[in-house]
Amino acid sequence: MTRLPRRIGPVLGLIAIVLGLTLAGNGVWIKAKAVLAQVLLERAFAETVKTGVPVKAWRWADTRPVARIRSNRLGDSAIVLAGGSGEAMAFGPGHLSGTPKPGQPGTAVIAAHRDTHFRFLKHLRRGDELSIERDDGMRFRFQVSGYSIVRWDTPGIDVTADGHNLVLATCWPFEAKTPGPLRYVVHAQMIE
Amino acid sequence: MSPLPHLARLPVLILIVLVVSARTLLASPLISPNDAKTGSLMIKSETPGQYVEAPAVATDFDVTVTGPIIRSRLTQYFVNPANGWVEGLYVFPLPEDAAVDTLKMVVGDRIIIGDVKERIEAKRIYEKAKSEGKKAALVEQHRPNLFTNSVANIGPGETIVVQIEYQATVRQSNGKFSFRLPTVVAPRFETPAAPQPVVSVSSEAPAVVEDAQKLPDAKPWLDPDENDPVNPINITVHLKPGFKVAALNSPHHKVDAQERDGEHRITLSKMAFAEKDFELEWTAAAVDVPQAKLFRERAGNEDYVLVQVTPPAAAKATPAPAREAIFVIDNSGSMAGPSMVQAKASLIEALDRLQPGDTFNIVRFDDTLEVLFPTVVAADAGNISTAKRFVASLDAEGGTNMVPALAAALKMDNQSNPAAIRQVIFLTDGAISGEQQMFNLIAQRRGRSRIFMVGIGSAPNSFLMNRAAEMGRGTFTHIGSAEQVAERMAELTSKLTSPAVTGLAANFSARGVKATPDPLPDVYAGEPLYIYARMDEVKGKLTLSGLAGSDNWLKTLDLANAEPGSGIAKLWARREIANTEVNRTLGALNYKQADAMILKLALDHQLVSRLTSLIAIDKTPARPEGTPLRPVDVPLNLPAGWTFEKVFGSKTPVKEASAFKAIAVASKPRVHDAQRLLALPEGSTPADLLLIIGLLISLAGAASVTASRRMAS
Repeated sequence: MTRLPRRIGPVLGLIAIVLGLTLAGNGVWIKAKAVLAQVLLERAFAETVKTGVPVKAWRWADTRPVARIRSNRLGDSAIVLAGGSGEAMAFGPGHLSGTPKPGQPGTAVIAAHRDTHFRFLKHLRRGDELSIERDDGMRFRFQVSGYSIVRWDTPGIDVTADGHNLVLATCWPFEAKTPGPLRYVVHAQMIE
Repeated sequence: MSPLPHLARLPVLILIVLVVSARTLLASPLISPNDAKTGSLMIKSETPGQYVEAPAVATDFDVTVTGPIIRSRLTQYFVNPANGWVEGLYVFPLPEDAAVDTLKMVVGDRIIIGDVKERIEAKRIYEKAKSEGKKAALVEQHRPNLFTNSVANIGPGETIVVQIEYQATVRQSNGKFSFRLPTVVAPRFETPAAPQPVVSVSSEAPAVVEDAQKLPDAKPWLDPDENDPVNPINITVHLKPGFKVAALNSPHHKVDAQERDGEHRITLSKMAFAEKDFELEWTAAAVDVPQAKLFRERAGNEDYVLVQVTPPAAAKATPAPAREAIFVIDNSGSMAGPSMVQAKASLIEALDRLQPGDTFNIVRFDDTLEVLFPTVVAADAGNISTAKRFVASLDAEGGTNMVPALAAALKMDNQSNPAAIRQVIFLTDGAISGEQQMFNLIAQRRGRSRIFMVGIGSAPNSFLMNRAAEMGRGTFTHIGSAEQVAERMAELTSKLTSPAVTGLAANFSARGVKATPDPLPDVYAGEPLYIYARMDEVKGKLTLSGLAGSDNWLKTLDLANAEPGSGIAKLWARREIANTEVNRTLGALNYKQADAMILKLALDHQLVSRLTSLIAIDKTPARPEGTPLRPVDVPLNLPAGWTFEKVFGSKTPVKEASAFKAIAVASKPRVHDAQRLLALPEGSTPADLLLIIGLLISLAGAASVTASRRMAS
């Protein structure tokens, strides 16, 4: 059995520890960012609703809060950002551009990461109520009608469908650690 | 004016209300305050957070235009025909730059005069007064151009007179001056449920109200053919533009105009109804030399001065100077959809308007940037068609990194054509991040360039774009829809090709003058420049210097000659509030400092703002039970200028212009082939993977270190 020279072993070990902690730190940072950003976004959103002027959560923000989504049963809530860009979704669920606002006729689509803001999606059940408060102060309630698992590029979502629909999307399977082509999609309809 | 004619008309008023109410039974959707498109008194319905509109019986506009300043007082009569006490919510749209500073209200026999107070305090006072059964009114800024007025405790059958005064500025465009008065559309009415707390939104979804039973008295009048006039409007404009008027035009209404001592008095030729906005346009008679005008106002312990400089008319038959135009177009992801289409159309429009002899280049940016030609090129057919192909190929994606793009546009100046007017035309949706660097960059590098901001779509950062244009001595043009592209770009181009006075500087001989804007922009033909200044006392001289074409232009004004004007202090204050917001955005002030300054400005100058509201609590004693009214209370705050004969004598049918049509359009699904294009974004982060791998590597490392230690020992 070959052995590492005495001095190199501990040095390699230390390097591995630093490297490992750096990687883990990055992972923690992603999660922390997702949580911290929501605190700032909550404030910005409250301000937006109050003043009617879009308020950025931080000065260099490239997106703005547009709604608050809440699962009444689970108690989970998050501030939704405009657009489904990677930058936006690092901080909160994104309301995909090109889809109507929640509460408008058609199908509004909100997407977020399965391991941060939309972790609660897997706990949603049919009949659960979701409430949305928009930045213009309007509030709407939606009821979960079902879910489906789809490919990201053929989700079969009709943005101009009849009624007032809401779709929440995240990655699937929930416990996977690497990106994949499948998406978990929750369908909900507005309660009249 | 005697109050008696008004009182005598009350039964007629109520009759109209009931007719109007009947009409609304046909279509009476519920709306929330944010949906309101025009002024209307909204009465709470049984669905929390949902309101129905009470009719605006008649509206009187009294508008005084002094130079660039509009002082508008609008008075509306409402009747509560219900048997119960109600709380109303009055929603009114105003021009975007309007500052509401006065609220007066006559509710039945009570006169309420509003004060500006800190927003939270005002709300608290209002809620207290309301719970005590006192009449109270609260005006809040709801959106920059949408205000609400909550009115508590309106008694059965009471007539309410709402009087709102606001300050605004005249719009100027391509030598044309104009203003628009939002008017009231078809009223909606519904008797309310028991008063509920004023909460402007609810968690309830909009519901259809069964309103047929709620107004039984209205039924006799429910006749579809019944088309008696509703919502009559009475308009009087006192126009003192500060220059000789060449043409006066009211595009939507027939008006009578008289001139006396430079003041035009404009009234409607016949009774109009609130079916369309009133608009008035006028132009300045051509003058050869830039003209300057001065207005003054004393407020508090200070004087406020407004200087108006009108340049000579454009067409002097001299060929327009050559231009070096650098177009910068934002194709970041936020521009996706209609904004990108409009931006591209605008840019192509601008390319079409380049003249032989001009040079140009294009910079496009998202989080990357690309410059079309290595340097500026001649505006010949080949280059323009290359440019158009480039523009047509642009897709909106990526982040917004504006600063390098502007830097590239400014840096491109190779001084090859020093006589050319260098213009940077910046097309963006206004989602500017990194304002600080933008301003630093403009201040340091603008050189001889003029920066023209073209805001596409909704421009939430429009003030900052305004400021960028101002610092860049250019203008800010807002293009809100595809229909406006051609017209607005034509206006912009005519500005771009004909600056009248450039390199303007203002010097006050007095000390301690706070003047804005600074630096001064170029002045364009047919459009006056306005300088606002605050000083201890109006005295000394103001020297303006600049270049009119290639001639030096110098003008010395004796400030003592300033004519008295009104509202100048408020306009100065509104500008200062805006400056403060910018300084906060720039990081020169923190929130606390900025808010303190804004609050002080708003309170000193009595303006409704983000931080202040108008609150009116009943200043006359509340009427004790069973005590007869004292009729003397009524006439005190009734507006002058009402002619009820006209109001009730006309039989002109009125169209049911409806706010709800607009709402229906707004809420239609946007047409997209989105189903085909819609793709769901990546729904996971590498966080867990990083954590697991990272911890595994660390553990391995730790194990290796431990193992080495053991071996060593």
